Amino acid sequence: MMFLSDGDLQSLVLSLELAGSVTAILLLIGTPIAWWLAHSRAWWKVLVSVTVAMPLVLPPSVLGFYLLIAMGPQGPLGMLTHTLGIAPLPFSFAGLLVASVLYALPFMVQPLQNAFEALGDRPLEVAATLRASPLDAFFTVVLPLTWPAFLTAITLSFAHTVGEFGVVLMIGGNLPGITRVASLQIFDHVEALEYAEANHLALMLLLFSFLVLLLVYARQPARRQDGVS
Amino acid sequence: MKFIRLLLLGCALLFSLAVHAETMTIAAAADLKFAMDDLIHNFKSTHPNDEIKVVYGSSGNFTTQITQGAPYDVFFSADIGFPRKLAQMKMTASPVIPYAMGRIVLWSATRNASKMSLSSLTDPSITRIAIANPKHAPYGQRAEEALRSAGLWDKVEPKLVYGENIAQTAQFVQTGNAQVGIIALSLAVNPQLASQGGYWLIPDSLHSPMEQAYVITSHGAENPLAHQFVAYMNSTPARAIMTQYGFVLPSVATTK
Amino acid sequence: MSDIVARFRLDRSGFQLDVDLVLPGRGVTAFFGTSGSGKTTLLRCIAGLERAPEGLLSVLGEVWQDQSTWLAPYRRPLGYVFQEASLFAHLSVMGNLQYGVKRTKSGQLTHFEHIVDLLGIAHLLQRQPQGLSGGERQRVAIARALLINPKILLMDEPLAALDVQRKQDIFPYLERLRDELAIPVLYVSHDHHEVARLADHLVVMEAGQVISNRPMSVAMAQPDQRFQRDEDIGAIIDGQVGAIDMPWHLARMDFPGGGLWMRDHDLPVGKKVRLLILARDVSLARHPPEQSSIQNSLQGHITAILDDTHPGLALVQVRVGTSLLLARLTKRAATALGLQMGESIWVQVKSVALI
Repeated sequence: MMFLSDGDLQSLVLSLELAGSVTAILLLIGTPIAWWLAHSRAWWKVLVSVTVAMPLVLPPSVLGFYLLIAMGPQGPLGMLTHTLGIAPLPFSFAGLLVASVLYALPFMVQPLQNAFEALGDRPLEVAATLRASPLDAFFTVVLPLTWPAFLTAITLSFAHTVGEFGVVLMIGGNLPGITRVASLQIFDHVEALEYAEANHLALMLLLFSFLVLLLVYARQPARRQDGVS
Repeated sequence: MKFIRLLLLGCALLFSLAVHAETMTIAAAADLKFAMDDLIHNFKSTHPNDEIKVVYGSSGNFTTQITQGAPYDVFFSADIGFPRKLAQMKMTASPVIPYAMGRIVLWSATRNASKMSLSSLTDPSITRIAIANPKHAPYGQRAEEALRSAGLWDKVEPKLVYGENIAQTAQFVQTGNAQVGIIALSLAVNPQLASQGGYWLIPDSLHSPMEQAYVITSHGAENPLAHQFVAYMNSTPARAIMTQYGFVLPSVATTK
Repeated sequence: MSDIVARFRLDRSGFQLDVDLVLPGRGVTAFFGTSGSGKTTLLRCIAGLERAPEGLLSVLGEVWQDQSTWLAPYRRPLGYVFQEASLFAHLSVMGNLQYGVKRTKSGQLTHFEHIVDLLGIAHLLQRQPQGLSGGERQRVAIARALLINPKILLMDEPLAALDVQRKQDIFPYLERLRDELAIPVLYVSHDHHEVARLADHLVVMEAGQVISNRPMSVAMAQPDQRFQRDEDIGAIIDGQVGAIDMPWHLARMDFPGGGLWMRDHDLPVGKKVRLLILARDVSLARHPPEQSSIQNSLQGHITAILDDTHPGLALVQVRVGTSLLLARLTKRAATALGLQMGESIWVQVKSVALI
């Protein structure tokens, strides 16, 4: 990276680290949520759906503001971390993780939920009658049949986190190597009238986003089938 | 006849409204937040029909926006460097006029900062100190200079968190996420902030002078209201308001 | 102990299942009823795919569900064939067959070839499910269910999704299953002909309730409008080919109670067969007939005289050996003959059909 400064490179690496961790965490918590949403008949399921979808419509400033308050010393999250003896969340990588996981949640949950719903119960019932436990059936039947949705969900969550700005700006404290991600670094360059530097880094992100979306859109259209035939 | 007279009167009224109802947009550095609200309120007592919009933000960001043709008529910068840059680019319609010397303070929402000094920042119970981003925010640059002059930078730097502008810096402190912050005096004297904690004025000998200036942009060149507002800034009431908010006015500064 | 006891009560909006059944632990038991009668729900309850809060289920002496027990579906040693074949789209035919085998403790492939042969799918093993015909898929699905050595096989209208020709193609395989499998089969269907061909025991359901639960031969001999149409009324008798008269192209079908001659179908001696003897093809006589065109005459005892669908007709149930036959005659003829319960009577069978 000849034309990227150490700071730029650091911010880029940080963005990728953050996006990678967020995606991994989302896979772990988003998959069960999507599963539950696809299968539950509870009346309050709609409330969970709405809550998960909120970041799609909320301005990042709303989430950023409430997180900053909640994570603060008087906030519920702040008190929790204090009681548990964990370092405070604002201005930390962990804080960014929490915020980004919340903010990217719908990008993981919704594609998976749609895929699980389209798959239906039948493949699982078939697997159960063939002696597969639910977890076994998930990995040997559901996963192979819905992997295109997983790929979409992973790509979108990752890319969305790399592209995140508002929430990170509001709770990150702009710490180099800890919370100063690439989008923030670009903003700082612009504010300091360093347009050339801003341009280099912005170009990298532009290319990255283009390639990611290309991956999502250019993939073979997902197999339209119920998973059993 | 009566009807025609009424019609004429109506036309005259409309005409007079059209003449006097001007609009203007001011881009103001975030440290002016409270002072500017008062200034406009005061200005409007003599210009009741005019509409003035204010956008608060960081001076660097405004500079970028103005070079890209943002519709701001007057630009109040926290640092004279930005309007000077615009003047060099021939994007101004008035001289660069200094309006104050900025001062920085230690402020806390949770502790009594008036009993502090810069050396208090090494206290281990203080884990987070908010300053504006020195890379582009004038108040952040002065904060860094002051800490370096006091020989504290290396000890304090690991505790620093950076606000995008002086308003966000204050917000980090106000929410308690940072125990202490270095912010503009003009914000700290506002009753809303002064009621919490208290502040300690950082000696201006510790940092380079922070000359603040405004300018009429090319966009505002033909706007009479912009010129009227700039003229108003030199009036006694305007100077009184600025002083009240802790701005050290240029004439005072020079006589000092 | 070797029976199946199933007691379920399930409330769904607009539907209620309420059954209390004891079923034989061997042979094919058919659940017959119109759609919405609850037969599929009952089967799903037995498989554990549906959980009836109040339920008792014991299969061949093992409790799968009672007040304190609930065996998850994947822990129940059963095979299940769904209405649509439901093969896994991401696995080949072989992969589908092995899926259950790998997860079965006793999973060995010793009988793999036997079952693959039984269902005639050896040539399909490397194919993908998407490329198979409906009948082929269903045969693979049945093989997949059998390969896990189930203690019981549940089939939910396995032929319903197939057209007539495919049904005809797959039927011989089902009959071979019935004849060769040692495990009980529960078979849901709304098709009378399917049931008549396959079932040993019949459960008729309506609106979530069981309205009849009897051996097939008994059920057939006591006609039920809900099950049979008028022209289908007749007796079903299981037997085997006893002798062949080559010159005359005839075969004798032996059953407990006697033998019946019919056209030779090129079946070997000893082959198990199921016979349908329609009530309208049976007449009664006081004395052994002489010089009649009807060659099949058997002696039996009258066990019931029933009303038929028409007020002028009666159905007479006659026990021959351990089998029950039905004869349709006019009430006037019945009165003229002075038929009484328990009397000895000669049965003349005009026509026998293999089903």
